[in-house]
Amino acid sequence: MIIAVSILLIIIALLGAPLFAIIAAAALYGFYIEEIDLSVIGIELYRIANTPLLLALPLFTFAGYLLSESNTSKRLVNLSHATVGWMTDGLAVIAFVITAMFTAFTGASGVTIVALGALLYPALKQGGYSDKFSLGLVTSSGSLGLLLPPSLPLILYGIIAQQLDVGDPITLNQLFLAGLIPAALMIIALSMYTLYTNRNSNIERIAFSKSRLKQALWDMRWELPMPPFVLGGIFSGYFAISEAAAVTALYVLIIEVFIYKEISIHHLVKIMRDSMVMVGGILLILAVSLAFTNVLVDAEIPSKLFNFIQTHIDSKITFLILLNIFLLILGAILDIFSALVIVVPLILPIAVGYGIHPIHLGVIFLANMQIGYFTPPIGMNLFIASFRFKKPISEIYHATIPFMFVLLFVLLFITYIPELSMFLIEQ
Amino acid sequence: MLGFAVLQIILRNFFQSGIQWSDTFLRILVLWLGLIGAMIASRQGKHINIDLLTKYLPEKLSILSNKFCQLFTAIVCGLIAYHSFLFILLEKESGETAFANVPLWLCESIIPFAFAVITFRYILMLFSDNQSYQQ
Repeated sequence: MIIAVSILLIIIALLGAPLFAIIAAAALYGFYIEEIDLSVIGIELYRIANTPLLLALPLFTFAGYLLSESNTSKRLVNLSHATVGWMTDGLAVIAFVITAMFTAFTGASGVTIVALGALLYPALKQGGYSDKFSLGLVTSSGSLGLLLPPSLPLILYGIIAQQLDVGDPITLNQLFLAGLIPAALMIIALSMYTLYTNRNSNIERIAFSKSRLKQALWDMRWELPMPPFVLGGIFSGYFAISEAAAVTALYVLIIEVFIYKEISIHHLVKIMRDSMVMVGGILLILAVSLAFTNVLVDAEIPSKLFNFIQTHIDSKITFLILLNIFLLILGAILDIFSALVIVVPLILPIAVGYGIHPIHLGVIFLANMQIGYFTPPIGMNLFIASFRFKKPISEIYHATIPFMFVLLFVLLFITYIPELSMFLIEQ
Repeated sequence: MLGFAVLQIILRNFFQSGIQWSDTFLRILVLWLGLIGAMIASRQGKHINIDLLTKYLPEKLSILSNKFCQLFTAIVCGLIAYHSFLFILLEKESGETAFANVPLWLCESIIPFAFAVITFRYILMLFSDNQSYQQ
């Protein structure tokens, strides 16, 4: 009976019903078979209001929406040109860095490709890079930066892991630190690949102009201090995460609306609505998942699952390989927020059982998701890029596959050398 | 909410005080805003779902599966609305307060309300034949 209901729910999910309804139904059914009064759903849903990190979610979402609706992306590209345009492959390399930063602040909802990629793609082509390379670069870097603070998926992973409370207790600051080296490795590997593939092509370099750089820096004078300020505040312990979120949101609001004047009050109302809808979608799914997780824990599903898996897989390495494959597929079919709330509660206890640190798992999880975003044939960013650049999807596949292999290579290191993630924390 | 959160930081850092219940208040505010957002999302049919399969279904079948999903969502949300409403009634009797003098049940009442509205939205969608749900 339980199996029949589960299969039925999966079919309904595949037919396109909202995921929150599927998970809620599963939770309700779980309470029902355990003969718990269904009014418990009220307590369970309200539990989300007791999550300490909750406030960071809407505030960072709002700040991200504001940044992506203003001309920040344009100013970033201008500045990159002025700073490194004179170096060999400077533009391509800096492109990785700025897309990563942009994604960290705006979330990997495809907005990096739409806003920043749309400017970088012509700029790269004009600079002499092949069409294929430029297309691959902007598509694959659309999710680069998921591991950098203050990205929403990182925060969400922190929220879920804290709620689960298995393994060593973790803080969001540790999670933020853990992502730094892996993200840097990805950028370095992609840059090396760039230098290698373009070694024979005729990349145009622009002459360095002091006045141009000055102008670009001047244009960005309000936005540039933000990342060091926010991250410095978090890492020095001066701000709590939710405070950093509040400061970021307020600061971005003031500069984009009152100083740059790129967002009208009318537009602002729309942005507020959009971010509320986005937060609502995540919150709803998060709330019902927490309820569902409780059902699972009560029924001892995670430990049963662990025992089952352990009888078949006895080494940590095999487990990690299977985990990578599973997560890559998951990242390609499910959007990152649903994947986090549905799968982390199941996987985290198992991973801890294999001796994987919750923070390391978080890094592995998000690194896989990041690659899943543009894994053919169904990674979401592939479709966004195809739509945005008006290219057939098969062309996008061809363009991104080399980048995917570079990142998969880095993923191996991240997965099998936990020190890469844990090093900074243990300092 | 933004203003309130910032005020709290200023108070905490410069005056070493801060309002004691503000943390709870802010989190409840997030819940309210989130659920209001969820209600808007329902109106626009914008909830996170897997649309892999439905893209490839023939039109007639896809309409049918849409209707089925809407019915399913309406039933689930209706159940949640009903049961969380019962829960609120219980809470009201217990008379607990969430922060300051605000009763807990009032803070929680957004849950049955939001789910009731979402149920209503999906029932409306079920009986209308526009394809707004698709977008």
